[in-house]
Amino acid sequence: MLPTIKVDDSKCGVALDCRLCLLACPTRVLGLGTNVGPKKYQETNPSRFIVRGVRYQLCTACGKCEEVCPHGAIEIVLDQGVSA
Amino acid sequence: MCYWCEQYGGGHERWYFNPANYARRLYKVRREEAEASGAEANPQAAGGMGVVGREFMEARARRDFETVDRMSREAEQRAWQVHFGQVVTKEELDRIVDMIYPIGLMTCACRRSMRGLPDEENFTCMGMGPGMYKWERWPETYRGGMNFVTPEEAKDVLGVLNRRGLVHTVFTFGTPYLAGICNCDYPDCGALRNVIDLEVRVVWKGHHVAEIDSELCNGCGLCIKRCQFGALSFSPSTLKAYIDPFKCYGCGLCRNPCKPEAIGMVERARLPAVAGVW
Repeated sequence: MLPTIKVDDSKCGVALDCRLCLLACPTRVLGLGTNVGPKKYQETNPSRFIVRGVRYQLCTACGKCEEVCPHGAIEIVLDQGVSA
Repeated sequence: MCYWCEQYGGGHERWYFNPANYARRLYKVRREEAEASGAEANPQAAGGMGVVGREFMEARARRDFETVDRMSREAEQRAWQVHFGQVVTKEELDRIVDMIYPIGLMTCACRRSMRGLPDEENFTCMGMGPGMYKWERWPETYRGGMNFVTPEEAKDVLGVLNRRGLVHTVFTFGTPYLAGICNCDYPDCGALRNVIDLEVRVVWKGHHVAEIDSELCNGCGLCIKRCQFGALSFSPSTLKAYIDPFKCYGCGLCRNPCKPEAIGMVERARLPAVAGVW
């Protein structure tokens, strides 16, 4: 069953510095990106960094990312909408 | 024959030995890197090379191979036009860095996306050619800065990365413009994830295939963990290493730890049945 990984950006802190979920994921499902593209002559503000479940082909819904998140920003949902 | 050599070889032995493919005039042709489709509100999933999205994963999960096939082909076509790679050996890379200037050592976008690696731990990527002079215009793309290196320094750095077990690949930025030397590993390379997890071929196999001389192989097994592609295994019945030539990407990393030098690289083209396996 294919899990959906929901990240609440408003709860997530500064993902670039925290990265606990990225390191906790046993199969490197999560990706760190930004919600803006690269801008000329501008470094991206760290607050623009977000986490998404990018490579969920290998998500086992183990829940480690949910557990490790200090802000409770991550939720794994299985197909029928049942929270893992 | 390799499609890219056919198209862009220009009479050279390989397309990446053709200086025209590094030329400034191609730099401007570079197409807008299409927002990786299906990257799900994650524009920089490009850093993780998210080339397929939910629809693909769902089709794959319900074993709808027709849809998977169609979507892989579409994703591959997009990647091949704009940004894809081919595995090269260290020896080939040494030839490339002697040919192209400047060469910049920079941070790896994939490992940033996968691990959030701090910039200072993340200098495993190389950019080359005229675009590098303009790195300061795009501070986010070149996060952590740019260290320009001489060809000899580049060879040394690549040697270190090679010993670490990273697969060398050359990457296009608006094919056939070659501007990247990536040093990749599974599972932290976005491109290899697409290739190995999803069979979306954004990295082509190289022009060589590794071959074991079983007379020389002492069965130590050190080569096996060097392989990123699952091509090497240990055969309990012969007590020697075994290479699947159809899975081999020809990176040559398995050779390094081999004391008896039992592994050699043969040209893919010399093995008719593997010659078309990219």
